[in-house]
Amino acid sequence: MIKVMIAKPGLDGHDRGAKVVARTLRDAGMEVIYTGIRQTPEQIVQSAIDEDVDILGISILSGAHMKLVPKILELLREKKASVPVFVGGIIPDEDVDKLKEMGVIEVYGPGTSTSEISEQVKSFVEHSDT
Amino acid sequence: MSNIQTHEYELLKGMEKRERRILAKVLSLCESDPGKANILLGKLPKSTAHIVGMTGSPGIGKSTLVNAILNEMPERRVAAIAVDPSSPFTGGALLGDRVRMQSHATSENIFIRSFASRGSLGGLSPSIYEACNAFESFGMNYVIVETVGVGQSEVDIVNVADTVVVALSPDNGDEIQMMKAGLMEIADMFVINKFDNPKSQILLSRLRAAMAMGRKEIPIYLTNALTGEGVSDLVKALNERFLTISSNGVLKKRRKNRLIHHAQSTLKRELDFLIEKIDLEEEGIDLDGLRRKLIHALCWNHSESRK
Ligand code: B12
Ligand SMILES: Nc1nc2c(ncn2[C@@H]2O[C@H](COP(=O)(O)OP(=O)(O)O)[C@@H](O)[C@H]2O)c(=O)[nH]1
Ligand SMILES: [Mg+2]
Repeated sequence: MIKVMIAKPGLDGHDRGAKVVARTLRDAGMEVIYTGIRQTPEQIVQSAIDEDVDILGISILSGAHMKLVPKILELLREKKASVPVFVGGIIPDEDVDKLKEMGVIEVYGPGTSTSEISEQVKSFVEHSDT
Repeated sequence: MSNIQTHEYELLKGMEKRERRILAKVLSLCESDPGKANILLGKLPKSTAHIVGMTGSPGIGKSTLVNAILNEMPERRVAAIAVDPSSPFTGGALLGDRVRMQSHATSENIFIRSFASRGSLGGLSPSIYEACNAFESFGMNYVIVETVGVGQSEVDIVNVADTVVVALSPDNGDEIQMMKAGLMEIADMFVINKFDNPKSQILLSRLRAAMAMGRKEIPIYLTNALTGEGVSDLVKALNERFLTISSNGVLKKRRKNRLIHHAQSTLKRELDFLIEKIDLEEEGIDLDGLRRKLIHALCWNHSESRK
């Protein structure tokens, strides 16, 4: 059973994408924990650890990704949690590579097909499992 | 093998040192391999927590109420277990109760964990007993279990919890109707939530009327989970009840009942596992033959796992 957390950091309320992705992954047979909007990096990281999720998905449309994502990755490292992170939302091309360099496994922009997301999450977790 | 032993040692040490990260792993073990979890937990000292079941139809405000209860227990070590339904078709689940409790995500004394109901028809997680035991071994004072709130889970919670809180709200007009399905029997306390809604007065008088016909007097608490109004009274009542049942024998009785149901669920799980492996193609197998075969397999399985 794959356990995923979908988290929405930042001060904005753009939650449609996060909810669409959460439902998509549920329909693909995963257990999906949704945190709700306006989560601090601290809340997200502690929740991911307490729920012992296999993978953490972060949705950001506000433009604050270059602040929020590094903070989340740093806290995960600090707490010795090796949870892979993927990101979705409005992320300019030039930032996609930077985020990946920091360790984000994949970045998904607007219009990404939901089946592509669930297939990639599945294959990623299955391959990192062993 | 030695790898498994190191792993077990690490989990035991971590639980003793109250490491949150380790508790999270042990809870995962409860879900993925409850048999192993039971053996592990058996090696740990256990304290007794007040296990509170929170049940009632979806949308009544159970998760919000649990959050409000957490607000009122700043100095206690509290675990919140939230169970949401798994899809019988895909096995997937959307676990959204946590959203209402996120203000406590980083509280040092509070641990929130979401469970999917998985195969369990009752709607409680099949690992619910193991999960409660894990929290008790971790030294929690309270374990609050929020049920899915439909079907059998409403009644099954009585086999898990020391105290069952049945939540009602004026949104769900047919609530009193539902009482007939056994809620009156399992409730140790009633909460009428969303008391800010004027219609809750009608619900309150109906509930009182329904109770007047029954044999036992069950206390009713009125809450607004969003503002926290009335919640301190509920928490006070929970604390007092735990003292009472600890001394009057009720807690002992509930725990005995719980142990029986835990054993039943463990055996059922083992049986399900064996049934999957057993050869049903055998010529002429009948009821008695199958029964014997399963009993034999169960005993053999048991002696093997003890080695
Ligand atoms: C709908 C919308 C709103 C709605 C939000 C409703 C809601 N509850 O979500 C409303 C009207 C409330 C709104 C408000 C605002 N918005 Co607006 N909004 C949009 C809009 C038009 C569409 C977003 C959307 O819902 N798309 C549909 C969903 C399904 O797609 P998605 O989120 O992109 O998700 C997909 C992928 O990105 C990916 N994905 C997303 N998250 C995740 C997570 C994971 C883990 C994965 C794997 C994938 C993934 O998968 C999804 C499926 O393909 C966008 C513009 C745009 N075209 O994107 C602007 C936009 C996001 N908004 C914007 C702004 C500025 C605002 C406001 C600040 C405007 C204002 N000045 O008032 C306010 C903020 C209010 C607030 N406090 O939050 C800007 C953000 C600018 C920036 N990033 O620099 C945008 C980009 C518009 C623009 N071009 O300027 N907005
Ligand atoms: N007005 C009012 N709304 C409430 C109250 N408690 C919960 N709610 C709302 O009821 C909805 C369902 O709450 P939730 O806790 O998710 O219910 P659950 O499904 O029983 O867990 C949410 O929108 C809450 O904000 C209350 O006391 N008063
Ligand atoms: Mg709920």
